Amino acid sequence: MTAVLDAPPVARPRLHRVRARWGWGLGAVAVVVWSLAGAGLFAGEVVNPAGRAQFGRFASAALSPALDAEFLRVLVTGALVTLAYAALGAALAVLLGALGAVAVARTTWGRRRLGWTLTRGALAVPRGLHEAVWGLLLVNVLGLDPWVGVLAIGLPYGAVTAKVFADLLDEVPRGGHDALLAAGAGRSSAVLYELLPPAAGGLLSYSFYRLECAVRSAVVLGLIGAGGLGYQLSLSFSSLRWEQVWSCVYALALLCLLADVTGRAVRRRLAAPRSSPTRLARDRVLTAAVLGSLALVAWSWWYLAVTPATLFAERTREQLGYVLGAAWPPDTDADLLASVASLAVDTVQMSVIAIAVATVGAVLVAGVAARPPGRMTPGRRLLGTVVRLGLLLLRAVPAPVWALVVLFVLLPGVLPGALALGVYSFGVLGRLAAEATEELDPRPRAALAALGAGPAAGWLYGVLPRATGPVLAFALYRWEVAIRDSVLVGVLGAGGLGALLATQLATFDWGAVATTLVALVLLTLAVDLVSARARQALR
Amino acid sequence: MDAGERVAVVGPSGAGKSTLLGLANAAVPPTGGTVELLGADPSALRGRTLRQLRSRVGTVHQQLELVGQLRVVHNVNAGRLGSWPASRAAWSLVRPQGLPAVLEALDRVQLADRVYERTDRLSGGQRQRVAVARLLVQRPELVLADEPASALDPALADRVLGLLAGLAADRGGALVASLHDPALALRHCTRVVGLVAGRVVLDAPTAALSVRDLADFYGAPR
Repeated sequence: MTAVLDAPPVARPRLHRVRARWGWGLGAVAVVVWSLAGAGLFAGEVVNPAGRAQFGRFASAALSPALDAEFLRVLVTGALVTLAYAALGAALAVLLGALGAVAVARTTWGRRRLGWTLTRGALAVPRGLHEAVWGLLLVNVLGLDPWVGVLAIGLPYGAVTAKVFADLLDEVPRGGHDALLAAGAGRSSAVLYELLPPAAGGLLSYSFYRLECAVRSAVVLGLIGAGGLGYQLSLSFSSLRWEQVWSCVYALALLCLLADVTGRAVRRRLAAPRSSPTRLARDRVLTAAVLGSLALVAWSWWYLAVTPATLFAERTREQLGYVLGAAWPPDTDADLLASVASLAVDTVQMSVIAIAVATVGAVLVAGVAARPPGRMTPGRRLLGTVVRLGLLLLRAVPAPVWALVVLFVLLPGVLPGALALGVYSFGVLGRLAAEATEELDPRPRAALAALGAGPAAGWLYGVLPRATGPVLAFALYRWEVAIRDSVLVGVLGAGGLGALLATQLATFDWGAVATTLVALVLLTLAVDLVSARARQALR
Repeated sequence: MDAGERVAVVGPSGAGKSTLLGLANAAVPPTGGTVELLGADPSALRGRTLRQLRSRVGTVHQQLELVGQLRVVHNVNAGRLGSWPASRAAWSLVRPQGLPAVLEALDRVQLADRVYERTDRLSGGQRQRVAVARLLVQRPELVLADEPASALDPALADRVLGLLAGLAADRGGALVASLHDPALALRHCTRVVGLVAGRVVLDAPTAALSVRDLADFYGAPR
């Protein structure tokens, strides 16, 4: 050896593990095992033997959906109604979000932390309840009115939008705004010139994202009776007309897919708009998207025949007064509290199993679903396309529809709900994990291949350590979504707090409903908190 | 190229230095002609035999080959992935394997005290030395280095090149390094190859060249 550096002997450091991370990891494993045990996977009957024949008939109808002219016309009408609900709901959400953002932005409150904390906390209540729960509540106040669907989307979405808008505004660097104030400009013109322009892209982009999500929510609201495609699906389902059910499934998958694709295209364009330095010209595609959305909202207003009069009608006020009066104080009967607690545990277990299933699946398919840099063999390309298409289908069908399908084969309880949520979350997480893998710098892995590492070793050393963080963060975020969605699959019969809520609403037991709602909001808040903490430990 | 040679590849940016090194470690397939590497044609090999050939060639990139999220010990051990079975590679992520060799390699680049540090917590120069330590445990016969001296101060650059040259000599192999600093090229190499737009325009033993000749070649101000 020619060049040895003469180093002084050093004390060998000891390998120490990061305790917080190990704690979270072991805790997560324990919770998953506890959930599986609670779902009865290790004991008892879960498969419904009678459902198998019915499921066979249902599955075989997949290839022969109802395509007669009359039913197609019904489907088109249903799709238009769903779209109209989505557009009005999203418009209301953006409106409420813009107003709410002013109320919760740090810019408004400055150093008055108490007011800021209180308004932020108030937003958590509408956010903690699923759109479907809002729908079930509103139907009791407004009766069968299009406002039910619009408000059920608009209120919870508005709360989320307010939070996101406020965060976007708060993230803009303060220098220009403060300079304008110092130069004697008014507060509103300082905000208009220095805060809004840098945030505008993000605000618009998020508005389009909400419209996309609203399409999915409108389908789901249909399932609980608000009309549109989802309603048609539940009608065909309960009359056992499987060919029609499949037509509905294909139609709503197509609608969600279209919303997904156009929304993503518009948002990508927003990230890199075309503009000319010499002329005052706007990006044509974006202008068309904005004007088109406004026209869509106007058309929806006309198509659904919404009138503000319903909101201020005497009957509405009376009904609201009655419901609120009956719901206060919430029922604190010991039996009720015990069953709420045990069903809350079920709900948590349902969401945990769902996310565990989805995460494992996502990690397994991420490598195949991601487009690798460089050349691919035709077989690899085909495999990748098939897997990506499969994931697309899984997430195009909303979780409650999956629940209906799973309930054929499994007895009602935690497991079918968990599987339905898991299948849907798998579609979402699989794509996110594939994208996270694609975004990784390919060079470390190429270097490992260049020194002779096999594919498995290259993946273990070059991909796994770098993709784990983002994929787990996505999984935790999806867990927050899953706990909200678990209520909905429960309403459709899969068990948990949702099933309880459905029976309480059916018997107009408002005190008990209030208790369940409080439990739901607390549960979602707790999950959000744990998830945020865990994500912090991952960083 | 013969065993025991130390070749500096010089040339302006985009001349094809990195492509040449990529051809030499079989990462870039040739668009024409054939590559002969340690007596074999890599484009004719597949699977295990190709991996065996590749494990005899070690490359230092511009620190871009390291995985920041892994601890230093795993990044160094990655040099042995060509010879380890996958199961051992996986177990090593839980219980680091072959620790004495890793520590010895890190000792030689003066980083033994950072063996369990996460790699992305290290400075640029420290990471460069981790990359060299990976090569030290890989023990390749042909050592390739793409700008190994960028991001290093002159004294450290000198030491790193010395280590790489010594490593190549150890196994009776050769060193090919793309370099920007004419002085380093002259001090550590036996032969200089100049590339412009993918063509060899200069190929001479170091003894026949001066710092000034090379500076002329770069077109740099004297």
